Formats: sequence, structure tokens, C-alpha cells
Amino acid sequence: MSADEKFFAWLDGELEGDEAAEMTARVASDPELAAIADRHRAMQARLNTAFDKVAAAPIPEPIRAAASPVVDLGARRDRARRAIPALPQWAMIAATLVLGLFVGTQLPRNRDSPVQVRSGALYAAADLDRALDTQLASAPSAGSIRIGLTFRNSDGTVCRTFTGSAATGLACRDDGRWRVRGLFEAGEGQSGDYRMAAGMDPNLAALVGSTMTGEPMDAAQERAARERGWR
Amino acid sequence: MNRLPSFEDELIALLPRLRRFAHSLSRSPADADDLTQATVERAIRASGQWTPGTRLDSWLYRIMRNLWIDTARSRVRKQAFEAPPDEASGVGDRGGIEESMELARIMAAMQRLPDEQREVVSLILIEGFGYREAAELLDLPIGTVSSRLVRGRTALLEMVGER
Repeated sequence: MSADEKFFAWLDGELEGDEAAEMTARVASDPELAAIADRHRAMQARLNTAFDKVAAAPIPEPIRAAASPVVDLGARRDRARRAIPALPQWAMIAATLVLGLFVGTQLPRNRDSPVQVRSGALYAAADLDRALDTQLASAPSAGSIRIGLTFRNSDGTVCRTFTGSAATGLACRDDGRWRVRGLFEAGEGQSGDYRMAAGMDPNLAALVGSTMTGEPMDAAQERAARERGWR
Repeated sequence: MNRLPSFEDELIALLPRLRRFAHSLSRSPADADDLTQATVERAIRASGQWTPGTRLDSWLYRIMRNLWIDTARSRVRKQAFEAPPDEASGVGDRGGIEESMELARIMAAMQRLPDEQREVVSLILIEGFGYREAAELLDLPIGTVSSRLVRGRTALLEMVGER
């Protein structure tokens, strides 16, 4: 340890016993060294005062939300249960779709329905469409739908996974709209809050695995993709 | 089932310190908050790799430091084409912290330290880690930490000056 290092180790309380006592005596008998110690103590006090303001400030909401996805999800699902009276209908639609019976059929017209059939293809509608358009996984909103992963498929098309109270699925951009590529029923009892947060529905996970190219977007990439209109 | 919520409780309790560490490393408050968020996201994804009973703070600081090193590398390439950060950068209307000219001034001075000195100054003088703890966190010999600390704090004192 150099003389300087020893002096600063003493200043930081890192020396013990004889070494510490020796340095204390040296500084006490050397006004120049004592002045250096004072200047460095004053600087550290300034650092602590300035940066402790950061630690004392409120945590920005996106950071807090990123830190508690499970807690947030539970709260959102509770809100979702209260907020969607038409939930059994969506559950029924979802079950129908999983069975593959939607091709060529006309879904009942309902402006609250989260999915719509157009030209034989299934598109997101209402709340689901809005959530896919606007919500960021990194800054969840209070809505009933949670966005999971955002990524690009092999064509470079943006895809996003979503989870509502009754179903979970995958939607990809298709000519300015969100085309639903998979929809799986989230049955009660097999999709508790904890499980939904910790892991994706296995059917959805398999679909995502076969669709995704590269890594899912991080928060900044997701935000940038939204600014570009998901192109 | 109980481990994840308790991990998150601890994580939330550590957010103010993580944010402070991010501000001492980053060139602006906005960069610092991006770094904090990226750290939290990575920590949540990797929570299974943390061993309960070990220090969560050191684990999180290490994640943040590694992310910062990664972004700092890409920033160096970018900065070759940009003006250096001035002292007012980061001062804006973002909820009080940034209104502190003193903080902006100190952050600007910290930015002028080489990365390897800045992280040591930050961990020991600002975050309050001991030399040995900082050395373990950075995977460095304690002597290296000690000598970088001397150089970093001496340079910093010259930059921020007396008040």
C-alpha cells in the first residue's frame, strides 16, 4: 500500500489497530495532512448531500412498476374481474376459437367483444385492440389486459402477447391492424396470478417460440416500436 | 411461492439506493433512470439466479454495474461524434432532483472520471461499501480498488473544488 493509499484507507476507516493509531498521530502532528483530510471529508459530505437527494426522491412510476409485476398483475386482475361484466362471453368465444370452429362463422356483433372476424381472419377489437396499440409491458396501465412480450417474427412483423381475464394469446401486425394468431383459454384454477406472472401458458409459449426471431424487445425498443406505429 | 414476493419486497426497498448508484454512474438523470429500469427488469428476469440469504444489494449493484459497462461501451463510440456533456445537461423539469445545480455539477465532474475510477468512487464514497465489499463486487484485487480510489477522489476534488 502506498503512503497515499494508507492515508485514505485511514480516512475511510479501513485501517485497524496500530496502523490506524499511527496514522491518527501523524495527521494530528502534520497540519498539511490534516488540511487534506478535511478537504476530502468536505468533498465526501458534498457528494453524500447531493446524491442522497436522489435516494430521498419518489421512485418514478415505470421503475416501481417494473419492480412489482406480480403484485401489479394481481391488482389488475382483480380490477378486471370487477370491470368486465361480459366476461363469460369472451371466455366462450375464446373456447370456441381454441376448438377451431371460428373459420367461416360469424361471431355475434358486440362492440365490446375483444375480437372480430373480417374476411375469415381474426382481428383484435375494442379493449384488446387499444391495449395492443398503446400499452407498454414496461409501463402497464390500469386496463384489464396485460401485454407480455413484444418481438418480431421472421418477416420482421411486430407481434405481442396479451393476457386478459379469460384468455391469453398472440397478435401480430397485419396491414395496420392486430391479427390474432393464437388465443388460448385461461381456465380458472390452472392460471393463478402467480403462475401467469411467472410463466406463460404452455400453448402460447410454444406459439411464441415458433414465431419469434431473436430476442424480445426491451423497454426502450418497445417504446420506440410504438412510436413508429408498430412497423 | 413465497420467495418471489419477498424478493420483490426487498428489491423495492432497494430502489432508492439503486437509483442513487445509477445517478453517480450516468451522464444525466434520464440515463440514470433508464439504467435503473433496465437493472430492475433484468433482476426480475434473473431472480431465480439470486441465492436467498446472500446480499441482494450486492447482486443488484453488480447487475447495474455490468449493464452500465455495456451501455458505456456503446456510448463511447457514439460520443466520438458528439459534443461532450456540459454541466447543465440533465437539468430539467423532472420532479425536483434535477433542479439541484449542485447535483448536476457533481454528476458532470463524476462523468469526467475514467469509468474504472468512477465506479470505485461511487461504491465506496457514495454508496458506503467497504474496500473489500467493493473489490468483491467488482471482481478486483483490493489493492486495485484502493489505488483507483486514491486517483479518482483526488481528481474529483480538483474538479469540484472547494466551496
